[in-house]
Amino acid sequence: MLLGDRLKVRYAQRHVVTGYLFVAPALAFLLLFGVFPIVFAFGISLHNWNMVTPVSEMRFAGADNYSHLILDDSLFRKSLGNTFVFTAANVLIGLGLALSVALLVNTRVKGRTFWRVVYFLPYVTSSVAVAIVWENLYHPFGLLNRLLSLGGIPSQRFLASVDQALPSIIGVSIWHGMGYLVIIFVAGLQNIPLEYYEAAKVDGAGDWSRFRHITMPLLKPTLFFVAVVSTIGSLQIFDLPFLITEGGPIDATETVVLYLYDTAFTFARMGRASAMSFILFVIILVLTIIQIRLFRERE
Amino acid sequence: MTAVRVDSMRIVTLIGKYGFLALGGFLTLLPFYWMAGGSLMTTQEITSRPMDWYPHTPKWNNYEALAEAIPVARMYLNSAIVTASVLVGILFTSSLAGYGFAKFRFPGRDKLFLMVLATMMVPFFVVLIPVLYIVRTFGWVDSYMGLIVPNLVTAFGIFLMRQNMLSIPDELIDAARIDGSSEFGTYWRIVVPLVRPALGALSVITFVFTWNSFLWPLVVLRSRDLFTVPIGLNLLQQYFATEEAIPLQLAGATLSSVPVIAVFAFLQRYFVQGLALTGIKG
Repeated sequence: MLLGDRLKVRYAQRHVVTGYLFVAPALAFLLLFGVFPIVFAFGISLHNWNMVTPVSEMRFAGADNYSHLILDDSLFRKSLGNTFVFTAANVLIGLGLALSVALLVNTRVKGRTFWRVVYFLPYVTSSVAVAIVWENLYHPFGLLNRLLSLGGIPSQRFLASVDQALPSIIGVSIWHGMGYLVIIFVAGLQNIPLEYYEAAKVDGAGDWSRFRHITMPLLKPTLFFVAVVSTIGSLQIFDLPFLITEGGPIDATETVVLYLYDTAFTFARMGRASAMSFILFVIILVLTIIQIRLFRERE
Repeated sequence: MTAVRVDSMRIVTLIGKYGFLALGGFLTLLPFYWMAGGSLMTTQEITSRPMDWYPHTPKWNNYEALAEAIPVARMYLNSAIVTASVLVGILFTSSLAGYGFAKFRFPGRDKLFLMVLATMMVPFFVVLIPVLYIVRTFGWVDSYMGLIVPNLVTAFGIFLMRQNMLSIPDELIDAARIDGSSEFGTYWRIVVPLVRPALGALSVITFVFTWNSFLWPLVVLRSRDLFTVPIGLNLLQQYFATEEAIPLQLAGATLSSVPVIAVFAFLQRYFVQGLALTGIKG
């Protein structure tokens, strides 16, 4: 072997080791706190366990946790229903509003940064602060009811009402999350080359036709991304119902992750809680795959 | 004639445009106004009819009462310690791993990176119970370690750093090596300065999310001495749930939002860039 080649081989070998060294710290943490726990959680879901007894004494339960949740647990079904309603409303209304705002902010509008900051503020505010303020706004004598009374509308019960509690939480959630969606939409809109619009203008295309034939098709990847991320996030809703209504009144705002939290940390049923987490995880994966299919078909 | 019609059309569109933005902006800001304004009101003012739009004499001692009800200074200190540690950890591990994945070739590299991407898909609630168990095994329940260590690495951070480092020319790195720079030295003096904007974006995002983090501290913490700001606020909401405590709660909410809103207002460019990156290539 030539000296140059030998040096090259040694150089390459050294690089292999250095490469491993650079990724090692992050991967070690990721394995311990990200990968191994998934396997562990699946194992727990097949057992009855309260986290206090040693792992070696976990009682094997087979698929009991899963079959109980799916067949016998009406609260789990209720929480699934609520989570789906929440997700559908949160995603559809949130996307619609955010896209409208993004389209406006992206036109020639005065104070673009100002609007962006305004719409973004809720997103950086902690859910606890958000919960405190909105609980107060929805209060029987709160600001919203007093605003309604200015318009002659009778007081609403909002969070105390079985029918209005979930829509009220959805309202808070849309307000809280819209800034992120606006930012992503604006970034997507700014990726569309201006020349396309100019060319369409020369050809005599109006506002609507430019929106339909240029903006929408080119924004589709962004729309897809936002739909998927927003669906995944919405299905995991926990903070707001936990803080504002604790799932009530009469389970009207009970969501899957809220039920999971109570099952694990109030009733110490780790097996059942883990089974719940996998059912929801599978639902998330299936919905994501369906969304990917839908967007592909329309290409 | 036509010119006049086009003009009036344009005026209508303008009014519609700014009207929509202003109405949306009003609805977006109203809760913030109420949070800050209400924190200076008496309970009577907050619930009076006809309504008071502003505190007639600002009650600054709501904030003093807040400090007596919950250990505000201690909560800020705890949040600051945890956020700073997590921030340093994430910047370091993400940039190291990002560099390894972007600029080195080693067996299994692509599969390992795929694993990183896959963990990004796993929701936190799936691993919550096992991670709590691991933390308990280490004896870190109810401690700074328990709050910090499981959060020192994020798949998103690694992904963000790798994407940014791919565009660094190999020649630059090789030139540093030929000049006798050590591997770590190359990373530290050549690579890190080149991805400073991405590190800035990652910092601001990490700051906001760690400062606001709720579920994990809720599960790990027991003693009030260690409560972070959101957990302390939650305590206030649970145990001081009387009407009289409403101004106190609003004062707490206001105080807790100040650091994140300040960071966001000054560094919003980084924040927006970072989040936009999640959309464009993700």
